[in-house]
Amino acid sequence: MKKTLANVFKTIIFVLLLALAIAATVVIVKRKESDYKYTDFFNEAKKDHIDVLFMGSSHVINAINPVFLFEEYGITSYNMGGHGAMLQATYWELQQALEYCTPKWVVVDTYMLEKNIRYLDNREEFDDEDEVNTSVEQLHLNMDAWPLNDLKRQAIDDLIQDESVKKEFLYEFIIYHNRWKYLNESDFKTITGTADRNRLFGAEMRYQVELEPEQYPVVTEEDLLKEDTVGTEYLEKIIELCQERGIPVVLTYYPFAAETKDQAAAIRAGQIAESYDVPYINMLDLDVIDVYSDLNDHGHLNVVGSKKVTDYMGQWLSETGDLADHRGDDSYSYWQECVDNFNEELDDVLFSEDNLYIKLDLLNLEDYNFVLYVNGDSPVFLDDYLKRMIRNYSMTNKIDGTSGPYILVKDNSTGKTYEACESEELTAMSTALGTLNYRPVERYFRLLYSDEDPDTNYLYDEAHYLNDIQLIIYDEDGEILEHDYYKSNGGNYVR
Amino acid sequence: MQLVSAEFFIFLPIVVAINFIVPRKFKYIWLFITSLFFYASIDVKSTVVLVIFIALAYGFGLLLEKNKQNTAILSVAIAIHIAVLVACKYLNFIEKTFLSLTGRTEEAVNLNLLATLGISFYMLKIIGYLIDVYRGDLVAEKNPLKVGLYVSFFPQITQGPIERAKNMLPQFNFPLTVDYDMLRDGILEIIWGYFLKLVVADRLAIYVNNVYANPMEAVGFTTLVATVFYTFEIYTDFAGYTHIAIGISRLLGIDVMENFKCPYLASSIAGYWRRWHISLSTWLRDYLYIPLGGNRKGTARKYLNIMIVFLVSGLWHGAGWTFVVWGLLHGLFQVIGYILKPVRDWCVNVFKVERNAFSHRVLKVLVTFLLVNFAWVFFRASSLGEALVIIKNSLVFTPWMLADGSLYKHGLDSADFFVAIVGLIIVVVTDLVNYNGFVIRERILKQGIWIRYIIVIAAIISILVFGIWGPGYDSAAFIYQQF
Repeated sequence: MKKTLANVFKTIIFVLLLALAIAATVVIVKRKESDYKYTDFFNEAKKDHIDVLFMGSSHVINAINPVFLFEEYGITSYNMGGHGAMLQATYWELQQALEYCTPKWVVVDTYMLEKNIRYLDNREEFDDEDEVNTSVEQLHLNMDAWPLNDLKRQAIDDLIQDESVKKEFLYEFIIYHNRWKYLNESDFKTITGTADRNRLFGAEMRYQVELEPEQYPVVTEEDLLKEDTVGTEYLEKIIELCQERGIPVVLTYYPFAAETKDQAAAIRAGQIAESYDVPYINMLDLDVIDVYSDLNDHGHLNVVGSKKVTDYMGQWLSETGDLADHRGDDSYSYWQECVDNFNEELDDVLFSEDNLYIKLDLLNLEDYNFVLYVNGDSPVFLDDYLKRMIRNYSMTNKIDGTSGPYILVKDNSTGKTYEACESEELTAMSTALGTLNYRPVERYFRLLYSDEDPDTNYLYDEAHYLNDIQLIIYDEDGEILEHDYYKSNGGNYVR
Repeated sequence: MQLVSAEFFIFLPIVVAINFIVPRKFKYIWLFITSLFFYASIDVKSTVVLVIFIALAYGFGLLLEKNKQNTAILSVAIAIHIAVLVACKYLNFIEKTFLSLTGRTEEAVNLNLLATLGISFYMLKIIGYLIDVYRGDLVAEKNPLKVGLYVSFFPQITQGPIERAKNMLPQFNFPLTVDYDMLRDGILEIIWGYFLKLVVADRLAIYVNNVYANPMEAVGFTTLVATVFYTFEIYTDFAGYTHIAIGISRLLGIDVMENFKCPYLASSIAGYWRRWHISLSTWLRDYLYIPLGGNRKGTARKYLNIMIVFLVSGLWHGAGWTFVVWGLLHGLFQVIGYILKPVRDWCVNVFKVERNAFSHRVLKVLVTFLLVNFAWVFFRASSLGEALVIIKNSLVFTPWMLADGSLYKHGLDSADFFVAIVGLIIVVVTDLVNYNGFVIRERILKQGIWIRYIIVIAAIISILVFGIWGPGYDSAAFIYQQF
């Protein structure tokens, strides 16, 4: 009897140790993207720190930056957007999020409203196998972080048709055990709770510039979305869910190079909003972004576009939402930490960026001052994309009618912009660098100096006299942060 | 429900737990019910066929018991069983062979009556049982459930071992009481089986399947590696299953015979067959080779008997000419070995070779391995033409392929390849150790508790992490299951 009891005890100890080892293994090999996105959601929701939830697809991920929103308006929010998330996925994600918090507003983007795909793994409803795989994989990004419970089972039952694929969502280890060969430091840090996490509260910023966004025909009566779709069905469910719980909801349609069908979907979203008497912001019809500089690709905003859209939403929520400004509140110090962190990251991106288009675009974000100088006969004067970006800063058409040389001084510290071309001179420019003077002398020689330090010519450097573009970035204290020289290699500007 | 499935990992503990509390004299009933349930969970139609054959085995057994040495009854019984086996497995092969001779292969239709899982295995068990009763070596079992359990015992039903009735039936009457040590031993055996199957065999299979799927695209050492990998794949796959079956049986208080004894360390083809699929080779020896006259009727007859036995063995493995050639090759290797024995002895004397020298033994093991490896090409290939292409390609001398990354273009990247090689090293080392009389399992069990725990937990985690299972992989099926 004594021996039997000892054996039972040993067996229990062994089973416990084995369970522990398996649990640790499951955590280590698990794909971390979903945890990366939602870790701060769980942390902040637990503290009841989330006032607004932004729901939708990747358009939301790239359009709304909660860090901007906090920095500028003191509004705390979480970007719950999911890559490729159709409205049925958004509905279930909202359901799960509401298990953890009760936001004061829910903002739902209605992109993909026209989609009539019932199950995300239904091979007959997608054009090819790759699309199904992408759809399922993207759902993993949105679903993996949520704990296994009845709600998750209901969600997977509703979103996925194939029983074996359902199991992959409920018991992720069956797919992620194969990740052993991709494990990295962060995978192991998960065990100690120190793994990397998204410090933008669910958002992801993109830094490319789509120079040639495609333009699509404007929607006509014939193009309108008249039939009900799975998308419209679930948008209605989302609104009803929020209304049942007494949470105000606002529908949006964030801007991008919208196809005709998207424009039709945006109109239909407005009709649904009206029928439920909820506000609707269709940014396709609003002049919020410049599609020639604020898109990362035809469908997604870059960081500059994001700032504009977030700004717009911040103003709207501030005016309409009755939301508290949490800036300066010690219990929200983590949010301020994330703001500082992101601003540092932006600086890093700006100063490490080689692409001139992106760099000029990023200068929009911060209150950096800069001098842009272009040599005479530079290919820049034939580059419509770059000229358009310069026009956005100068707010004049001067760049269009010249073959250079050309100078633009954008001094945000004083709020002044100076511009000259060809033989024009500029004198007594009031800037953070001092009182600047500009004088073109000859093809490879020009002067830019301050009255305070007339011996320093900012625009001449023997080592770079053949570079046809110079960009000087300086701060409000007059310290030069970066002086870049570019060569125009057929429009491929090389630093 | 397959041995590699979530359902099985729920099923097994329940069966073991209930078996533990069922009184000894009724355990066979519980095991018979669970065996039928297990088999029915794979295929209900096949279960009907199985039950019919259990009834036939039971009836013919009693009949043979009543009519001692009645050859007519035995012949009828065997003829019925073989006829059904042919109807279920060989009609398509016969039809295709006939049509290809007349150039009308496109007219082929499916003639096989039913794809019945494990039929080749349980037919041999039944025939062996009836012959034993006929010979008077065994008293026919009076309890139909025990006959049923012998035929359908779930750890063995799909892939053997082809256990003898005189070993199994007494155990059903007096099953062992499963104690803590048996439990540990059985679990270790199962873990080792799953390691062989999921970590080694299924990983090697990815590479092998890739090369055999496009034999024209892999030339040189990549193909040679595929043939060697297949040699180990089929071993680790089948031996893996056997270890699982033996381990499960042990958990149920049933002792099942060993089926493999380090086969690739054999120093002759005859020796290889004493170590590979032992339950089949001893069955063929006892119920076919010896009744044919064995080696008692002269040298020529002995050679003929060997060729017949291996022809039957080839056909038993599969209804195809590749299997026939594989079987005949093994017969031929042995016959040639016997014929050349005087020459070999002469060489040994002339060159004063020390037969027991390590180098000589290694050479013999190596030659045997290469012959077995060669024959496996026919076993794996889908046609004789494909087998010849594989052999031709693997003889192209391209050693740089071992270093230039060519090996990683056939389904296994460098990390997976590394795990496959480590797995193979573990298998070879384990066999070498076993060959020298050490049983690693027993050694582990003699260690202190913490070392034991660490080894077992690490082994389970390794199988879970490095095992080839989950979506995209069909790890449920074992190679020998198709026979």
